[in-house]
Amino acid sequence: MTKKWIYALEELGREHIDLVGRKCAHLGEMTKLGMHVPQGFAISVDGFERYMRETGLGARIATYFASKGPDIKKSVQSQMDASRAAKAMMTETPLPDEMADGIVRNYEALCARFGAPDMPVAVRSSGTVSMPGQMETYLHVRGAPEVLRRVHEVWESTFNTRAIAFRLEKGMPAYTAPIGVAVIRMVNAKSAGVILTVVPTTGDLDHAVIEGNWGLGESVVSGDITPDNFIVDKRTLAIERKVSRKTRWVISTGTGTAKADVPFHMQNAPCLDDAEIHELVRVALNVERHFGAPQDMEWVIDRDLLLPDSVVWVQARAAKYAAPRKEADADYIANQMARLFRQ
Amino acid sequence: MTSVNGVDTAKLSAVVPGFEFDEKADLAQSPAWFLDGTHSVPPWTPLFGWFWINFCRHGMQYGAEKLSLPTVKGWDWRFRNGGGYLTLLLVKSEAEQKQREERFRVAIRPFIDDYDGLWKSQLDEILGRYEKLKALDLDKASNIELLDNFEQTINVCRRMWEIHMYMMYGTFTAYILFESMCRDLLQIDDTNPLFHKLISGFDNKVLRVDKRIWEFSKEADKLGLADVVLKSDPKDLVKNIESAPHGHDFMREFRAFLDEDGWRMQRMSEINMPTWIEDPAPPLANMKQFIIKGGEFNLEEERAKLGEERQAAEKEVLAKIAPEQKGWFTTLLRLAQKSGVFSEEHDHYLDLYMHALMRRSAMGIARRLVGAGTIESADDIFFVIPEEIRKVALAPEQFDLRQIVHARRAAWREWCKTPNPPVILAGGFDMDQAMGVLVKSNDPIALKVVVGSMPVVRPEIKADLHGTCGSPGVAEGPARVIMSEEELADVQPGEILVAATTSPSWTPVFSFIKGVVVDRGASLSHAAIVGREYGIPVLMNVFVGTQRIKTGQRIRMDTNMGALFILDK
Repeated sequence: MTKKWIYALEELGREHIDLVGRKCAHLGEMTKLGMHVPQGFAISVDGFERYMRETGLGARIATYFASKGPDIKKSVQSQMDASRAAKAMMTETPLPDEMADGIVRNYEALCARFGAPDMPVAVRSSGTVSMPGQMETYLHVRGAPEVLRRVHEVWESTFNTRAIAFRLEKGMPAYTAPIGVAVIRMVNAKSAGVILTVVPTTGDLDHAVIEGNWGLGESVVSGDITPDNFIVDKRTLAIERKVSRKTRWVISTGTGTAKADVPFHMQNAPCLDDAEIHELVRVALNVERHFGAPQDMEWVIDRDLLLPDSVVWVQARAAKYAAPRKEADADYIANQMARLFRQ
Repeated sequence: MTSVNGVDTAKLSAVVPGFEFDEKADLAQSPAWFLDGTHSVPPWTPLFGWFWINFCRHGMQYGAEKLSLPTVKGWDWRFRNGGGYLTLLLVKSEAEQKQREERFRVAIRPFIDDYDGLWKSQLDEILGRYEKLKALDLDKASNIELLDNFEQTINVCRRMWEIHMYMMYGTFTAYILFESMCRDLLQIDDTNPLFHKLISGFDNKVLRVDKRIWEFSKEADKLGLADVVLKSDPKDLVKNIESAPHGHDFMREFRAFLDEDGWRMQRMSEINMPTWIEDPAPPLANMKQFIIKGGEFNLEEERAKLGEERQAAEKEVLAKIAPEQKGWFTTLLRLAQKSGVFSEEHDHYLDLYMHALMRRSAMGIARRLVGAGTIESADDIFFVIPEEIRKVALAPEQFDLRQIVHARRAAWREWCKTPNPPVILAGGFDMDQAMGVLVKSNDPIALKVVVGSMPVVRPEIKADLHGTCGSPGVAEGPARVIMSEEELADVQPGEILVAATTSPSWTPVFSFIKGVVVDRGASLSHAAIVGREYGIPVLMNVFVGTQRIKTGQRIRMDTNMGALFILDK
């Protein structure tokens, strides 16, 4: 009996980073905090290593790297050659049947849960350490053969030139890398964006900031458009709105995603209603309390589900923000300076 | 009958029209007018006085207004016999103070939020304006271009004073708040050595220029020029170095350095003496003093030591601050630490540089006027005012300013003979009341540059003189009493400098003297800041040091006790 290498997200938590990589472990942890995350499963680091072992590919690639000697460290050209060679070897080495079956079974079970055969999913890499050049994400993947192809491609990204260079530079083995894969349901996004439980520019901890646009979240994260901006008082939940004219969005096309024009009647309408905003803030504050630190979280509103189930989370991490109190300190100093003149 | 050299002075136009001191009207406006002893002793020439009175005055009112200082609207200035007299423009009603306070809270924020960015943007602006003035070749320019350059110089000078006073008011307000917080939380003020340690050990432009001169002293030694330098009088230095082997190359390099950093005057606030670019003798004399002293440039080592002491002092102080106060206290500490750097750098980039450009433009016109016979010699221009320059500049041969120059020069000589009174008071108003007005203004510049604190007299220590601590330490050595810039070249290594005040152009000597005693000074005055950066003691507000101490007498100063002892009596 072989070791378990596929996990449901609910089975995972933040202690499982080494097992399934950061992305999967975080999604698992989020389910534990009562957040809705896109349902799906994780292929562990062992899964990749088993593929490399059973097919003999690991040994072949290791031999290839060994033959190049230590000089590969200095030559970008040899790193590019190594990338091409390793990827070529991978391309001609399909998954062992038993492994392919395991992935297909889990994918079909996921489809069955939603009564949607060939349901679209996202296939995302999940490294155990954050590693440049190894962050492949495939959106809107449909059908078992496609899912297998994309999992294989995520694994291949391990041999992107930048990933190889990074490992060489850090003194890690070049011929392998700890990588997990997340296969999760594609959310039918009505709108998407981010919420921060701190105002990042000022360190103001009394307000949360939400930014969002229609469609998938890529348009917000990439900064292509001016998103809607909602500032919410964390105590009173009072909302201050800055609704922008949103002319472009990112949508699913059936075979992937694409940028497109937002239909005219939606451009000046807020992408979130008050109930959705309050639900986002409620969950975000729970997570902030759990971690004891301000959070930076990515959300999607699923058009197929009803509130509160429609609020789906895809990312939660500690927020980066200006030193807390900086604004308050500056105000205090300005006030004290003003007082000097009263004496 | 007022007559000097046969010219009826009553017929002479005012030196600073609109701002000549008028006893009746001006004492009705304010009962106390203070002489600016730091900048207008000895008395200004008419041309420089015109610039100062018009634009220092404008800059202070601009700065106070831009920051909306709650209690003061800057200073008013008058001209009297070459002296600048000032009085404060107090905000009169409490309601207006409240309104100004509201605006002040917003206006001061750029200083707190990004001090370095603010200072850099102001510097970039003014340095850009300087470059435009320098672009004109004065000797090839037409009369129209020359006059235009002079008018632009007037405009740039006005802008310089706006930036100067806006930055100075904002910077010093932060410093005063920090001192006030230190008094509340740590029971120390800015005459305490621990306080000085907190704000010392920073690099600045003036110190970097000093270091370049030291580097030239090493270079001169390497090229075998040390002997020539040591044997030459300051006035012969250029000539003697030029004619020595390698001397020509050396001077070429030295002049290249001056083209960059020599835009400064020998006297801080006057333009009737050559700039370093015109006459390299003063910086070469400094270089000579470095050669006499020998050894390494002590400033680097001193800076490293001060830096370490500062870090230790910060640690000591922060340990006493409550955790919830650390945030703002640290921000404020960093801000206060900028004060010293600002004080020195603004002298270099604003006052000295601008004055050098004023001299440049005025001399350009002067040479043209001499050529046309309008005046006799180039330095007559300092006895002419801009209104007269405008009158004659385009057709100089049509006019004769010689009578006016003669009369003004004669009047100026009279001013130099009779010192201006330190204060002019209305009847029934005494000095204590006058000082009370200064303090009540809460004007940051008045408090930290002009007034300072009063020495505490302690009879039990039997000191000959008392002063306040501008920079901590104890020193003993022969005194060197300096009354003017010309005597600077006489200062010898190991001496203690005794002066009325010191000017930024004096910094090079700070690296080889043991200590400084000044008649007047406050913690942000030049002598105190530079003394702290060079790690030598500075005793301030001694008031009569230059009268009581004689050059060559051995003296001992202990700034920690605020005491000065004259050992050979």
